[in-house]
Amino acid sequence: MGVVLRNLQKVVPLRRARLRRDVDTLRHILGIQKFDLGIICVDNRRIQQINNLYRKKNAPTDVLSFPFYEDLRPGKLPCPLHRDELNLGDIFLGVEFVMNQCQKESLDLHGALTAVTAHGICHLLGYRHETEEEWAEMLQRERYILSEYNRLTGRHLEPLMKAFSPET
Amino acid sequence: MLKSVVRAVGAAVRLSSAAPSAARALPLSCPTLRSPASATIRPFTRSLWMLKNNGASSGYRPKLLSSKVLNPSVSCGCGGLHTEGDKAFGEFLSDEIKEEKKIQKNKSLPKMSGGWELEMNGTEAKLTRQLSGEKITVTFNVNNSIPPNFEEEVEQGQQQKSPEDEPEIVSTPNFVIEVAKQGGKHSLVFDCHFPEDEMSHGEGEEESDIFAIREVSFQPEGDSDWKETSYTLNTDSLDWALYDHMMDFLAERGVDNTFADELTELSTAIEHKEYIKFLEDLQSFVNCK
Repeated sequence: MGVVLRNLQKVVPLRRARLRRDVDTLRHILGIQKFDLGIICVDNRRIQQINNLYRKKNAPTDVLSFPFYEDLRPGKLPCPLHRDELNLGDIFLGVEFVMNQCQKESLDLHGALTAVTAHGICHLLGYRHETEEEWAEMLQRERYILSEYNRLTGRHLEPLMKAFSPET
Repeated sequence: MLKSVVRAVGAAVRLSSAAPSAARALPLSCPTLRSPASATIRPFTRSLWMLKNNGASSGYRPKLLSSKVLNPSVSCGCGGLHTEGDKAFGEFLSDEIKEEKKIQKNKSLPKMSGGWELEMNGTEAKLTRQLSGEKITVTFNVNNSIPPNFEEEVEQGQQQKSPEDEPEIVSTPNFVIEVAKQGGKHSLVFDCHFPEDEMSHGEGEEESDIFAIREVSFQPEGDSDWKETSYTLNTDSLDWALYDHMMDFLAERGVDNTFADELTELSTAIEHKEYIKFLEDLQSFVNCK
């Protein structure tokens, strides 16, 4: 199957082909091409709804991940027995939230979406950032992914994660 | 036969307390379900064919038109058929038209953003736009543009919710986008639709794209007939990267999610307007005016 991309919002003009290409580059870096992945682009209203429903946080955010495998050891790829388990899960991208952040910080939207997606994929692969130790491990992984991405594409993306905060 | 008559009667009794405007949601093929709010509901215990039956041995052949019930009793002198049924029908239509006009959002059609010009030809609408030497045309027909699942929701709504909570009728027509470059012999044609999401309807859980491309082909420029021998790309088994490029292509020409949402609003308004006009024409026809 591959990457199922959906754009459910009309606030942000999105280049689907560009986003898909970047996600495919990330999958190649992580060696997860054989796994299916869902990327759903939503606006602030929708991501806030999902954030409230699943995390009891009534506010929009940049990304929410719904892993297919819930207890993976960070970075350990699943070994599915059946073809229909070749699935990592779904990532909801809060594109409106990311766009607002980009406008404040003068960043390129699609570059930011790629960094956010890398963060989301790390969650699908078992990475967490609830403790400082977990945060450091996830940050290291994101740095690796994005440095490889930058090397392959000539771009200069930075990890989404800045400083550890138990609230995020 | 008896089972289906009983079910129809049950539905008719439920509907007698519904607002007249809700009658539009019911299938046109079941006229027995459309009881006017003010009519007395009589259960059909026998088929109409039995009205004049003199027994199984009588060799009776149903002659519906010879029944006393249907003898013309109202005439405007035109020589045409005018029955009590026609009179009741005309009165029903008068109420229905009044109710539909009350709920009509706007008498004038909503405007599309992005500089699209609208041309109407009966139930067919054509939106055109010029963009740096390219002409983009979007055509749709409001006939059969209301998804069949909507009718189930309205029936469910009548049982569980108050009239204020009834779902709105939304028209989501298939639409065809033609992109023609200056001097070109062929247009690039996209056959698009609004996918019906399997998960739920109108409950905020949709995860399909707002609109989707179904087929793509090159067709001769202008009003020439559709060329069946032109290769037609079906998106069902298409490479997804190619699909995304085509969606980006359309978005850059103004056909994006905003356009799709505005198109459904426009189509819904056109459909409602055409429905009211149809009811008025029907009323004139029945009343012989």
